[in-house]
Amino acid sequence: MRLELRAITKRFGSLAANNDVSLVVEPGQIHCLLGENGAGKSTLMNVLYGMITPDSGQILINDQVVTIRDPKDAVAQGIGMVHQHFMLIPVFSVADNIILGSEPLKPWPFIDHRSATERIVALADEYNFDIDPSATIENLPIGQQQRVEILKALSHNAEILILDEPTAVLTPQEADALMVVMRSLKDQGKSIIFITHKLKEVLEIADVITVMRLGEVVGTTTPEESDEAALATMMVGRDVSLVVDKPPAQVGEVVLDVKNLFVQDDRGLTAVKGVSFEVRAGEILAFAGVQGNGQTELVEALTGMRAVMAGTMELNGKNLVGSSVRDVLDAGVGHVPEDRQRHGLVLSLSIADNLVLDQLGSPEYKAWWGRKLKAIEENGKARIAEYDIRAQDESEPLSALSGGNQQKVVMARELSRELKVLICAQPTRGLDVGSIEFMHRQIVAIRDEGVAVVIVSSELDEVVALGDRVAVLFDGMIQDIVAPTTSREDLGLLMAGSRPALNSEPRS
Amino acid sequence: MSVDVATTKRPPSRLLMLAVRVRRANMFLVLLFALLVGLSVGAIMIIVTTPTLLNSWGSFFSHPGGTISENFNTLWFAYEQIFEGSLVNFHALRVVIDHPSQANLAVVLGPISLTLQYATPLIVAALGLAIGFRSNLFDIGGQGQVIAGGLLAGLIGFSLHLNPLLQISLELVGAMVAGALLASVAGVLKAYTGAHEVIVTMMCNYIMVLFMGYLLITNLYARPGVKDGASKAVTPSGQLPFFFSHLSPNLLVNYGFVIALAMVFVVQWFFNRSKTGFELLMVGQNGEAARTAGINAKRTTIITLCLAGAFCGLAGMLELTGVDHFLSPNFGGSYGFDAITVALLGRNKPWGVFFGAIFFGAMYAGGEAMQAFTPTNIQYSLAQVIQAVVVFCVATPALIIEIFRLTDNERFRASGAAGGWAK
Repeated sequence: MRLELRAITKRFGSLAANNDVSLVVEPGQIHCLLGENGAGKSTLMNVLYGMITPDSGQILINDQVVTIRDPKDAVAQGIGMVHQHFMLIPVFSVADNIILGSEPLKPWPFIDHRSATERIVALADEYNFDIDPSATIENLPIGQQQRVEILKALSHNAEILILDEPTAVLTPQEADALMVVMRSLKDQGKSIIFITHKLKEVLEIADVITVMRLGEVVGTTTPEESDEAALATMMVGRDVSLVVDKPPAQVGEVVLDVKNLFVQDDRGLTAVKGVSFEVRAGEILAFAGVQGNGQTELVEALTGMRAVMAGTMELNGKNLVGSSVRDVLDAGVGHVPEDRQRHGLVLSLSIADNLVLDQLGSPEYKAWWGRKLKAIEENGKARIAEYDIRAQDESEPLSALSGGNQQKVVMARELSRELKVLICAQPTRGLDVGSIEFMHRQIVAIRDEGVAVVIVSSELDEVVALGDRVAVLFDGMIQDIVAPTTSREDLGLLMAGSRPALNSEPRS
Repeated sequence: MSVDVATTKRPPSRLLMLAVRVRRANMFLVLLFALLVGLSVGAIMIIVTTPTLLNSWGSFFSHPGGTISENFNTLWFAYEQIFEGSLVNFHALRVVIDHPSQANLAVVLGPISLTLQYATPLIVAALGLAIGFRSNLFDIGGQGQVIAGGLLAGLIGFSLHLNPLLQISLELVGAMVAGALLASVAGVLKAYTGAHEVIVTMMCNYIMVLFMGYLLITNLYARPGVKDGASKAVTPSGQLPFFFSHLSPNLLVNYGFVIALAMVFVVQWFFNRSKTGFELLMVGQNGEAARTAGINAKRTTIITLCLAGAFCGLAGMLELTGVDHFLSPNFGGSYGFDAITVALLGRNKPWGVFFGAIFFGAMYAGGEAMQAFTPTNIQYSLAQVIQAVVVFCVATPALIIEIFRLTDNERFRASGAAGGWAK
């Protein structure tokens, strides 16, 4: 199926979310749509999927002008969409989710489960999907849930699939598996519109790349004609440094000393199994590892949010085990949590309030008669200017900000306290190139001020770029602590649980 | 390049712009229209339930004028009674202008004082519940907590003879502690076992109603020689004094109203300025983020419910020592539940709750007047129908916006005022 979008324009008030955007997707093509947050990618896809009516412009399918009023029309035209946040019912089975809305009936009103299951098995076989139709969604890993979404679109005979930032929620392994799925779909003649801001993936899989910025198409290119730096420049509109500019660490005393730490996860299984490490003032220790190898539990234990089963944690010689979150924060630990919207911010509150969320009791913002609203407001103004947070003013609710600016608020807040240790979990997850560059510079800057920094990231690039030392977590244990110059192959082996023969740095 | 649409069209006239601005939904318009809908529905109910009015429609085609005027006059009279019974009596106002005297002035102020008397416990109880609702804790146990406050305030009230200021302060503190203790059961269970506060507080209501029933037949509470379940009376030194008792014994507003008014300011400070109030809001909006920011969510949950309970307990004390002066098996009436509606009507904002409670008080007082003075004794419950319809409309502003074709106001929506408890 050939899809053409012709001169799509959509305005929200004075803001042109899409301005004269044109795009052609040929049959059997993987077309990457690249752009920063707020560049208009999602608006364009919502226009295509019938969720937004454009002010002007045309959609052509196989050179015929079509009208798409709602998602139903889009599905009827053979357009399928996999949203970033899945539209699945967690307690239903895979089969039930796929047939939802188009249930095959044997004498009405009974659902013909057997023929439904057969159809799904046939469909899964056709595309080489390994999936159990009777499994319940909530028990499936994210990558599998995503396949169910894809299968659901295919079951409606989709010829063109829109994947909205599909890899943002996946582990590197799952992302690789998705690439395989995408290639096999392409071989079957399906077209794919792949929305992302991860440049590596784009170069790996795209046939054609369209880059958008500020609601307009800046250019169309192919992986052969382009590279990461060129794409980043197109996206951001200026040269972006993809390498972290980092002077050698000026290492000081040991600040955080963790010995033989054991932590349980929510299900009561031991997730962190005897982890020991030290972080010195002025260095960055970066934790690499596949998501789900104890990173979340380790960070929560370090910040007092999760009980420690055994082992010691000392900050400048002071015990941290058993301290409340408040005590840990007061001891000088900064925490940039993994999921900023769930743990880091209260989206309905103002930017100014969010900037003091964990400093409510500090004498700067609270007197005997209550919270000092003036001081909070002025702090908000100052941080917005200092960190270049794009917002109308400090009283705007946080939900109005883009992901990158939300993360800036978290970072600004944590750095505004007197820190000894900064713990950042997935500091740049879901951010665009410009924001990643900004975050990395902040992290290196705080290191150079003599703060001990712990980074946990599932992006190997980030770990290697930021870390002065790299600790690889596997199955709740530190496989090894190595230099960031270690080859990717060796790091990959460590992450997979085997120990290559290499010269690891001494642990002390 | 697309042509800019705005420049090719004539700019809209000023009058149109004004109309658009006036039509934009805001709280005042929504309230006004809600009242209009309430009165209209009430009018239909009155016509349907009053036989003479209903019969008059039989002659609608022969004497349309007569039918309409008869209906209109009756409705006008009924609503006039509600207004004059709750706010101000115009006839009395005319009298007092012609013959100024203290007694006549008292007649003019009588209705409003009755409204305020009814509103007083409601203000306090609804403020308490609003504290909980802000933190997403649904304290449905207002009734039980009102009773708990009344029971302890009563015990202090009728067994002591102290300096009035001291005794009333003791009653006040006692009632708040009793309400807080009762609510703390729900708080502790919620924090440490996850038991849902709605279930626990609701069950506590039953316990407290029956417990009070039991206490009222024990020697501790029962009035000697009385079998109707009335308790001993609060000693005069423990009663809240009336404001204008020197004017007329009919002016019922007492110092409880001042306490309630003070509580509005206290709660306003609590929400806007206090650290605990902010933490409570945080826990309500995003408990996980609150925990990450070092806030003890368990502690906050318990504090929130205790505060809600303390305010409800205080409401019980104000009702007992200001109005009833003794306990009876149906002490507290429906205050605990009406307070939930008032908190909803006031959108959990202190002044919203204040005026919501005044509206409820006015409908109690006005409804009584309507039943007493209309020739066909239009039922008191019709005032409650109007009340219910108004609450219904305010709770669903989308309905009012749709019916009256108001322009949608995003800021009104975003302020949370239009969302109700959609969560």
